[in-house]
Amino acid sequence: MIDATMGKDAARAEWDNPMQFVLACVSYAVGLGNVWRFPYLCQMHGGGGFLIPYMLMLVLLGVPLFYMELAIGQKMRLGSIGAWRAISPYLGGVGMASVVTSMYLCLYYNVINAWSFWYLFHSFQSILPWAECPANSNLTGPVEECERATPTQYFFYRETLDISGSIEENGGIHMGQALCLLLAWIIVYLFIVKGVKSTGKVVYFTATFPYLVLIIYLIRGVTLHGAINGVKYMFTPKMEQLAKPTTWINAATQIFFSLGLGFGSLIAFASYNQYNNNFEKQAIVVSMVNSGTSIFASIVTFSIYGFKATFNYESCLERVRLLLLNTFDLAEDTISLENVNHWIAELNRTHPEQFASLGGRLETCDLEAELDTAVEGTGLAFIVYSEAIKNMPVSQLWSVLYFIMLLLLGMGSMLGNVIAVITPLSDLKFISVLSYPVGLVCLFCLLLGLGFTTRSGNYWFTMFNDYGATFSLLFIVLIEVITVCYIYGIKRFEKDVEDMLGHRLNWYWKIMLAGVSPILLIALFIFYIVNYIQGGTPTYQAWNKELGKSVVTEYPPYAQAFIGLLLASSVCCIPLTALYTYCKKRNLASGKRERTVSTVSL
Amino acid sequence: MHCCSHIILLFGQAICTVGDNCYRAVTFLKEGMLVWILFLLCQVGAPALAQDLCQRDAPNGYKVRISLKTALGEDAYEWNQSEMFFFQATMAFAMRRHFQMETYNVDNIILCVQTSRVSFWFVVTSPDNTTMLIPKADVEKAVRMSRHRINNAFLLSDRTLEFLGIYPTLAATVNPDTPPWLIVFGVVIGAVCAGIIALLVSSLLQKRRKEKGMTEDGQDEEDMQVKGVENGINLDGTYNRGFTDDDRFTKL
Repeated sequence: MIDATMGKDAARAEWDNPMQFVLACVSYAVGLGNVWRFPYLCQMHGGGGFLIPYMLMLVLLGVPLFYMELAIGQKMRLGSIGAWRAISPYLGGVGMASVVTSMYLCLYYNVINAWSFWYLFHSFQSILPWAECPANSNLTGPVEECERATPTQYFFYRETLDISGSIEENGGIHMGQALCLLLAWIIVYLFIVKGVKSTGKVVYFTATFPYLVLIIYLIRGVTLHGAINGVKYMFTPKMEQLAKPTTWINAATQIFFSLGLGFGSLIAFASYNQYNNNFEKQAIVVSMVNSGTSIFASIVTFSIYGFKATFNYESCLERVRLLLLNTFDLAEDTISLENVNHWIAELNRTHPEQFASLGGRLETCDLEAELDTAVEGTGLAFIVYSEAIKNMPVSQLWSVLYFIMLLLLGMGSMLGNVIAVITPLSDLKFISVLSYPVGLVCLFCLLLGLGFTTRSGNYWFTMFNDYGATFSLLFIVLIEVITVCYIYGIKRFEKDVEDMLGHRLNWYWKIMLAGVSPILLIALFIFYIVNYIQGGTPTYQAWNKELGKSVVTEYPPYAQAFIGLLLASSVCCIPLTALYTYCKKRNLASGKRERTVSTVSL
Repeated sequence: MHCCSHIILLFGQAICTVGDNCYRAVTFLKEGMLVWILFLLCQVGAPALAQDLCQRDAPNGYKVRISLKTALGEDAYEWNQSEMFFFQATMAFAMRRHFQMETYNVDNIILCVQTSRVSFWFVVTSPDNTTMLIPKADVEKAVRMSRHRINNAFLLSDRTLEFLGIYPTLAATVNPDTPPWLIVFGVVIGAVCAGIIALLVSSLLQKRRKEKGMTEDGQDEEDMQVKGVENGINLDGTYNRGFTDDDRFTKL
């Protein structure tokens, strides 16, 4: 067995240089969540004040766990299944659970890339298709659904997704989406077909180009009219939010998922490292880069939010001004945007009956309310950004740039996801007999992913997004930390690290890994369970065609059963594998005893 | 005014036919007074008649709203009586263009209720009978037909010269045969497929080259290790497998 493993070590592919490994980790960790979820959390939890719990959780939870995963991968030089089996045969299921979770992620994550492609291809038109409503068949006005909602919402829900009214109403596959998904999977295949040789070259581009686009967008963003409102709003700390436990929980979860812990990608990446690679420095660098990018991206996002909010606010004022001018037949230059509110009070005083006849048509325009509209979720983020972009001058250029950036971020993360599945599978002996495992995995994911391009596909997508990886990851990482620190032993781990790096574990790592992180993880875990139970029936946002907005709907029973299946399927790998290994050992042990008895008796 | 002179002439004719030399002196005075009263009435009555036809919320009238400052900003011209006359002329042109037989004139377009917004109401009377109004539907058809010309006459657009109740016909959405996104998609997927084919071909060529080279080198990897080459560096001595690190897997 020693010879075989030695031979495997010698034959294992490696990164060309440590820089490729760092860029691969950065490319994987810096993903869509940095651009969308972090700004949303900042907005929800008191702006600049959110940075305090975020940084604290990074130091207490994020960096130590990241370090631990890199250490395991680099030491064991195997994918997640092999590595955890090597650490403790009873807990080989942890690796299996990681692979299952990564598989779920692979299935639905590439759909986001398909949407990015769709929007990118549609940006090459003189008028962006989400800028105005299309005319209805009589050419008398815009399509009703578009009129009730906004053009950007209409483009997303009707033309991109062709969404049905609820998760129960299925429909055919949207051909455009299917084609874009096919393209996304072909590109992923192209990037990983040659293993780390090809991936290592690709990550130079996928890790660095998004930063270039972010810088360009930063310059464009802060020069937009009204951007300063958004940035001011973001950085004004609302310290009272820090008193709520949800803020701290969300900070911890964000660090956790943003770094991509527990999926097995980090273990897979590190397994291609040289044995003596200095992963300690790299772990700190990647974590800092990831958090720094989150903050940087949220400045860009908030300047764009500010622009959008100011634009909507001024449009609202313009509409009110026109309404007043038309109702009271005043000359055009009497009311300007600045004195609209003054005139409202004035006209209410002088012509009360006529003013009352305005009734509900008079809107209240509030800039704070516009900024407060929290935006979360993949679909909403597509809608909000495309709305802001369509109002910029030369909107086609900005649209193309933005969606290329989204694509690179998504592809970089996708590489990590697929490698997390392929590395452990190709380490298993029976799989390597199959030719083209990479192609088969991609094809399999593509075919299943087509289910997300059907008319109700977005609802299934949201289900996977909300339940596929959240709870199981917490459990996986908790078991990981407990395994490494207490079952494998922190002393042995220390020895391994010393073997690789040449110096002993710092007191910081020891305290965090053995003490603080497990406690925090247990707290998070309990919170999730309590929240899930207290939340009642799980619900989702269904798009209502008649109303032109999303409506909260409960999941039907079979969908709830499917959620349970999603959660259970990855988590129960761990106890099942432990049980299986225990039974196998017991059989082996009892078999040995029998043989010894028989030889003695002979 | 036109109708007034008509009425006076007719009445005058009627009086003249009745009158004889005997009555002339008496009736001449009466005529004069009557004509004068009639004239006065006409002066008051004609606009009153027109006023009856054109009023706010007239059943066959339309309200027009003009937003000059929004459309033209600094270059906005002043809206005065001449512009109102121009509007009447344009509307008369629109009616002529639609109905083609009948000759509409500026007098057939009656304007009222002018405000400083700039907005006003107008009605269209028939050229044959000035008391009869053209129904709303026909006016709408005429306006729709010449909307573009009317807009251009005033350097305005559908949005800034509004006929309340007549919705502008939206431009038909141009549906090209191949949607443009499909073209871009085709280009990208073609490039990607070319990349894959190039990759497969290069790996095939490499494999063939390796097969040719394999027969000469043999198992060079294990030899290198036995010879003591680690990480590309030649170590002195041979690698002793007895001292391998075999306790890195957990013992049960």
